[in-house]
Amino acid sequence: MELVAIFISAVLVQNFVLYYFLGICPFLGVSKKIDSAFSMGLAVTFVMSITAVVSWLINNLILIPYDLDYLQIVSFILVIASLVQLVEMFIRKISPPLYQALGIYLPLITTNCAIMGLALIAALNEYSFVETVIFGFGSGLGFTLAIILMAGIREQLDLADVPEPLKGAGIALIVAGIMALAFNGFIGMLT
Amino acid sequence: MSLSSRMIIVLTTVGLISGGFLAGVAQLTKERVALNIQKEIEEAIVEVVPGTTQNQKLHQEEDFTIFSGQDESGNTTGYAVQATGIGFQDKITLMFGINDSLQKITGLTIIDQKETPGLGAKITDWNAFLQFWENRDASGQLTLRKPPAGSLEELSTSEINTITGATISSQKVLEIVNLSLEKLKKIISEGKIAGERQDVN
Amino acid sequence: MSTKSIGAEYLKGFWDENPVFRQLLGMCPTLAVTGTVITGLAMGLATTFVLIFSSLVVSSIKRLIPAQVRIASYIVVIASFVTIADQFLKAYFYPISKAMGPYVPLIVVNCIILGRQEAFASKNSVGRSFIDALGMSSGFILALLVLSTIREILGAGTFLGYQVMGAWFKPWTIMILPAGAFLTLGVLLGIALVIERKTMRS
Repeated sequence: MELVAIFISAVLVQNFVLYYFLGICPFLGVSKKIDSAFSMGLAVTFVMSITAVVSWLINNLILIPYDLDYLQIVSFILVIASLVQLVEMFIRKISPPLYQALGIYLPLITTNCAIMGLALIAALNEYSFVETVIFGFGSGLGFTLAIILMAGIREQLDLADVPEPLKGAGIALIVAGIMALAFNGFIGMLT
Repeated sequence: MSLSSRMIIVLTTVGLISGGFLAGVAQLTKERVALNIQKEIEEAIVEVVPGTTQNQKLHQEEDFTIFSGQDESGNTTGYAVQATGIGFQDKITLMFGINDSLQKITGLTIIDQKETPGLGAKITDWNAFLQFWENRDASGQLTLRKPPAGSLEELSTSEINTITGATISSQKVLEIVNLSLEKLKKIISEGKIAGERQDVN
Repeated sequence: MSTKSIGAEYLKGFWDENPVFRQLLGMCPTLAVTGTVITGLAMGLATTFVLIFSSLVVSSIKRLIPAQVRIASYIVVIASFVTIADQFLKAYFYPISKAMGPYVPLIVVNCIILGRQEAFASKNSVGRSFIDALGMSSGFILALLVLSTIREILGAGTFLGYQVMGAWFKPWTIMILPAGAFLTLGVLLGIALVIERKTMRS
């Protein structure tokens, strides 16, 4: 049951975007249309799940046994950067149409704090292998959920009369704030 | 030199230099970091078991550790129990002190929490919560006084005052303590740790 | 190669090209650790350390790095300095390190830093890169201070832990919550744009 709790927590209660503030750049940049938001969400979930696996392996098979904890930051970020490269090459070969849809977003994912945040938080909480995978997948879904919701709202906002200075990032952040408030309601769900 | 070999050499060099540099820094800071964590625990023990000047770890399992405290002359001042459990928002790690006959709780302190700031986080506040943990009756389970009593005198010794607006966080702390009390008594009565065998109810 | 005067090189980081308010970079830490002024300040200083030293190193070795591996090299350099900052905080400022959680290591993905290496340090002299880094850091610290001051005073009635609002003030708890961070930054961005429009007109 602990696994279910971790999953639900990652998607709703401690949503990566609305609680941990991770993934804001793509969240603001790619949430203008629902389908691009969806593609970005998919790409992120995919990379996050793989990163969860690889970062756990590196942390628990190499870093901790050899007392190399301090290399966590360097190794994680290098792993992520390489993974994103590999994923990009892989998708390009396997499915050009998919590459067309996701392609440009992939390089952006490297500096997406969400991926690095995932690796760090899972390591901080000392999750087991299975827990880390569930956490990675759940966080990716949480990110996707948040970004799709945001895109839906912004598509509507396009037709509304937003004050000039708030157009774009300003109103997006305010909307995010209200969404964060709403998601606050999920706290205590797991008690 | 071909481009690929140049690329590899550059990357490897950068990697090695950084790695070496970081290893050096880690060596320098390693002890202090471990010391900080240790100090945090020791300060908590001294806070919840008055009169303690040294301590000894008696028992450790996941999310549950028992320490015994001694004063300068080596007499046992009591036990300190560190326990982690689920709070309202995330995990709570706390430590409470209990006297050596296991009859009285001598204090409580919160080591780690991520409760709602301004509300649940008040469990770390002396006036709002922690002061009600001194001198509690540890012979049975403790209960919450809801709504909170006006003054310390009105509380019975097996009751804790709830924090207004943070009922659940208060309750979670209570649950962790009650659970730990049972565990502690069980472990001591089974003689699993070095220490005097206590007569527990 | 930049041709600005030294003064202009530094000042652009404060306003014209303020990393948070104008370039919209580095928002994750800005939102995450500005619940209190002390953590906001700590983040600002840690990021400054990483930005300045990374820029110094990158701009010193820029000619030695083949273009294809430059991003990877920059990342290793940045990650190393972040690790140093993290270790330092854990050793000498343990309570603050605990309060900041995983966000100090996350400085490594703060787009401001990699952005500056790519856009400036790899193309300019060591001296200039230093000034640029200094300016951008100052701008970043400014953003963090403004945000955290608003959030701490309105959300807890304190500043750096000291009570500044009288007992009559009921703190707006929402300000310390994630929602408050988003709302405040959104409004501040709007205000920044208004100020920019006004100064452009005059």
